[in-house]
Amino acid sequence: MVEKVKTFEDVCCPFCGTLCDDLEIDVDLKTDQVVEVRNGCQIGTKKYFSSNPSDHRFTKPLIRKNGEHVEVSWDEAIDKAADILVKAQRPLLYGFSSTECDAQSRGVELAEILNAILDNTASVCHGPSLLAIQDVGASLATLGEIKNRADTIIFWGSNPVHAHPRHLSRYSDFIRGYFRTDGRNDRYIVVVDPRNTHTAQIADKYIRINPSEDYELIQAIRAVLRGADLDVKEVSGVSIEDIKELVEILKSSNFGVVFFGMGLTQSLAHHRNVDTAIRLVAELNDYTKFLLIPMRGHYNVAGANQVFTWNTGYAYSIDFSRGYPRYNPGEFSSVDLLMRDEVDAALIVASDPGSNFPAASVKNLFKHPLIAIEPHKTPTSAFADVVLPAAIAGIECEGTAYRMDKVPLRLRKVKEPPGETLSDKEILERLIEKVKEKLGE
Amino acid sequence: MSLNNLILLTGRTISQGVALEGGKASRENVRAAGICTFDTDDFKKLDCIVGTPVKVITDYGEVLVYSTITEEGPHPGIIFIPMGPWANQLVNPSSQGCGTPTYKGIKAKVEVVKNGKVLGAIELIGKLKEA
Repeated sequence: MVEKVKTFEDVCCPFCGTLCDDLEIDVDLKTDQVVEVRNGCQIGTKKYFSSNPSDHRFTKPLIRKNGEHVEVSWDEAIDKAADILVKAQRPLLYGFSSTECDAQSRGVELAEILNAILDNTASVCHGPSLLAIQDVGASLATLGEIKNRADTIIFWGSNPVHAHPRHLSRYSDFIRGYFRTDGRNDRYIVVVDPRNTHTAQIADKYIRINPSEDYELIQAIRAVLRGADLDVKEVSGVSIEDIKELVEILKSSNFGVVFFGMGLTQSLAHHRNVDTAIRLVAELNDYTKFLLIPMRGHYNVAGANQVFTWNTGYAYSIDFSRGYPRYNPGEFSSVDLLMRDEVDAALIVASDPGSNFPAASVKNLFKHPLIAIEPHKTPTSAFADVVLPAAIAGIECEGTAYRMDKVPLRLRKVKEPPGETLSDKEILERLIEKVKEKLGE
Repeated sequence: MSLNNLILLTGRTISQGVALEGGKASRENVRAAGICTFDTDDFKKLDCIVGTPVKVITDYGEVLVYSTITEEGPHPGIIFIPMGPWANQLVNPSSQGCGTPTYKGIKAKVEVVKNGKVLGAIELIGKLKEA
């Protein structure tokens, strides 16, 4: 019998930082299309299906001529893109979190050649967590440790039911571990959030906090932990009795972990929230074992931080304008640069700042020439001057990605890339070659 | 009808995640992310039916989105718009010097616009290109 469908097992899902590595993908060998995805969450499954031909997938390089995208050859598109980058005085290279590590490494090389600014999506996401870790250090662990040992789990400002759909069943809640043989029944789940999220609805304890008052509540918990008597009835909308009860729960646990998300990093106090959360975790270690892990969003944003760091010394917001890397979030971070209208050309790799940056900064991004290395039509690529169509890493090409706990995992290729698409790595290599040629190097 | 003194939060939802992977130019994306979820009691004060377009206004911009009632309440005084082009018309671009804009906890007000048209992602962001 002729084999019609090929099944790929233990495939790594390139969607969120949980990087589930147990997906099974069926590919129709005749049409080279994904026909079934098993074990994946709703979002990961959709990502595999969206790699099949559709009207929002780019298959040929495009250049904007008279306001319309026109199909061109790879040579013409690369030449145009290199021309834009070489002529720019302050080019920005942004994105990199939804692609594999080799492509990220080529991005660093290109930024260095161009004396450009290099940034990844941590800039608008867990950047404050990186700042805080640089300030005060952090007690981290791999997710396997959490699965096998943790009995008290706090989700602070994160909603994994929606953002990391399989996190609860693979690592943090329902899963049975070596010392947590009864799974969910062996764990106590606490959720701190201004909304009674779907994660909060399945937790053992939900703490409703006022928006943007996380810093105050964490400081109050630290004070109670140290034995201070607070002379108020409530802090951040949480009663002192609730705070005292929470402190007792934390102290009496065997192994606790705080998973924190955008609730801490994107509200007013930004990295100060994370600073104080890390200090709380450090102080809890006077009583028991306690750790914290940032809930990273993009599947390889942790990898982007790793690759940028081992190449330049810094994780994001890097400026090469003086010929050597300098680091200063707030100054060289993408949104701040765009708000000051400092950038005069941008290369966006595997990212969509058009959707995800504040409107005022997108307006400034669109004022200048824009190049997108992107598989799909997005609010960024739709308005790009040059679109370089990419194969999707983890589906149509191999590579390495770092999970949210910085464990590197191998992404697999399950099907051929459509049309004339190339991998992000190949596109960046061709761009580097052309830029070098134009610069006479 | 209108509501003042609300706090806007933004963030991931699973339908927004599915829609963005399924095609950002699609109407599915509008239904997933071009929405504003209200606390049940707050919504009653708006005196309209679910799905009626509302204009959300902050110090940083305004946008038309579909109204809906939260499944993750009660959260009186708080409105939630999933992350994406619609929410980002309203958020505070200032990072207070740390690099990350303030996407959560922004003062907002809401007005019902019964005949309003909620734009698709490409159309909405296209206005920034033209401006």
